[in-house]
Amino acid sequence: MFDIGGLFQGFTIALSPLNLAFAFIGALLGTAVGVLPGLGPAATIALLLPVSHKIGSPVTAIILMAGVFYGAMYGGSTTSILLNIPGEAASVVTCIDGYQMAKKGRAGPALGIAAIGSFIAGTIGVLGLTLVAPPLAEFALKFGPPEYFSLTVLGLLLATYLTGESPLKGLIMAIMGLILGSVGLDPLSGAVRFDFGIPDLQSNIDFVTLAMGLFGVGEILINLEETGGVSILTTKIKNLWPSLADLTRSGWAMVRGSFLGFAVGILPGGGAVLASLVSYATEKRCSKHPEEFGQGAIEGVAGPEAANNSAATSSFIPLLTLGIPGNASTAMIFAVLLIQGITPGPFLLKEHAPVFWGVVASMYLGNAMLLVLNLPLVGMWAQLLRVPYAYLAPLVAVLTLVGVYSVNNSVFDIWVMTVMGIFGYIARKLKFDLGPLLLAFVLGPIMERSLRQALLMSQGSFHIFIGRPISAVLMATAILFVLGNVWTARRTKAKSASQAQGTAA
Amino acid sequence: MKSWQRIAGIFLLIVSAIVIQQSVQVLRLFDAGQPGSGFMPFGLGVILAVLSVLLILTHLGPEQTEVRFLAEGWPRPIIALAIMAAFAVGFNWLGAVLGVVILVVAWLLILERKSVVISVATGVLTGAVVYLLFEVALQAPFPRGVLFGG
Repeated sequence: MFDIGGLFQGFTIALSPLNLAFAFIGALLGTAVGVLPGLGPAATIALLLPVSHKIGSPVTAIILMAGVFYGAMYGGSTTSILLNIPGEAASVVTCIDGYQMAKKGRAGPALGIAAIGSFIAGTIGVLGLTLVAPPLAEFALKFGPPEYFSLTVLGLLLATYLTGESPLKGLIMAIMGLILGSVGLDPLSGAVRFDFGIPDLQSNIDFVTLAMGLFGVGEILINLEETGGVSILTTKIKNLWPSLADLTRSGWAMVRGSFLGFAVGILPGGGAVLASLVSYATEKRCSKHPEEFGQGAIEGVAGPEAANNSAATSSFIPLLTLGIPGNASTAMIFAVLLIQGITPGPFLLKEHAPVFWGVVASMYLGNAMLLVLNLPLVGMWAQLLRVPYAYLAPLVAVLTLVGVYSVNNSVFDIWVMTVMGIFGYIARKLKFDLGPLLLAFVLGPIMERSLRQALLMSQGSFHIFIGRPISAVLMATAILFVLGNVWTARRTKAKSASQAQGTAA
Repeated sequence: MKSWQRIAGIFLLIVSAIVIQQSVQVLRLFDAGQPGSGFMPFGLGVILAVLSVLLILTHLGPEQTEVRFLAEGWPRPIIALAIMAAFAVGFNWLGAVLGVVILVVAWLLILERKSVVISVATGVLTGAVVYLLFEVALQAPFPRGVLFGG
């Protein structure tokens, strides 16, 4: 079950000078991105996609992108604590107690415990990945087209319901993503779909173009609307190391957060944001001093920071073993693997074991690098915040425009990216979450191929999806999940209505 | 915001109608008794139509609180889009490096109201970075443009 030989091979690959260098660059970039509000890990990985085309080795490309992803989790805590501005979405919860600690002159211990908790959780997450991924990949070998179709349906539904505020809007975005994914050549019949006479649309919309438009250009447009500036907290950061009392108080929070985050991160749509929220609620319930939460409770920083890092690591499990990315960032990494000619899924471990173990081993090393980067360099990261967005925005615009052109040498891609950027901007204004769209775009071809192959196998009968046990369980889970959410929503609505009536009376 | 949600619902309804029409008339729902290239898009179009109607229905009635769709700085994204569109139009003729320089200068001068000196200096620096990173390091074959013999 636990392939120690594979892991050693992975370390051999990860410890090569080139891969170490890219792990460091990814971690550094990721931390910077996590620190800077307005540029998340998904957008950064999107900006780096053209670079991944040029990197010859798939392991190296994934090491770079993975470094950006979990590096951002580390970096996000810095602005949350110092400025009450989450550097990225998963650090929102850290703002609650982290900023309060900074106001009381305890920014150092807050930053220190966030970094230590992240390191412990990241290490637990990687250990969990090492143990869970191989047997899961083995199990997934039993999957055929009906199982894959059911799994993609379940994955999309979970991602839709667990992210964003409105399941209805999430579902709409998912359907839009599936439709966008069908533009161009039908992979099974070769027919051209939805080209409307435009020759450039006969090849499918490139993932890089879509991602950079939605997350790169869209992000710029949203941020440009904000006319206010960012004020920097001038508090001195001293005594980075938490006291023994701090460590004692937050020790169990870090452990609980790590395991909670690991479990939540495996779920499609689960991810770091949900993990940090669940952890915060858990710590408040478990604490002997719940009244301190919101006033600077160190467990309120330790738990969520541990949870989001552990979730970031475990979210690689469905990607690498089942070939199902669970969030926007792992969807990007899915695309990187495809660009490198590797199909993620249960055969990844069999046919490209060095890639799998190389990435896992680099995560161990990456966690150690991040601890070194974050603690001593926290002052430097805080200075990054002095770079006005006025200069950052045109730089990001240039990177997206030039980067997308470099993929296919096509000006048409620049136009498609711009249109996607406008779409992403309007969607965010209307509170539509873009994550399900991106996930659906990536999963769409898998879903359609599986559906049509399954119906070929069953000679057109849909019974195949409930006749096979694994597919039946997955479908039943999907249906129960949707029904459960609808029932909960109706109950909440009825309760609010009766409370409102009671108040009026 | 309800009125904007209804407009979005109508837009999505139009998209679903186009998808259904294309799936039925242009593509094939079935091919030799098996699902054709229009099969899944047709299903997606129908689901999108239903969800769009739900979106409209759930946002009927007057606004309960006043929420502005357009923020105070709303012209800025439009100006940025115009600058990016101009870049796309002129890209092949100007070339990548000169195009980048002009984009950054225009962005800083028009959008951010920076001084000419700072805008030009930043533009030239960005152009140099793009040249070194993309053309030299990544060997991307960008158009050279009118200035560099393209």
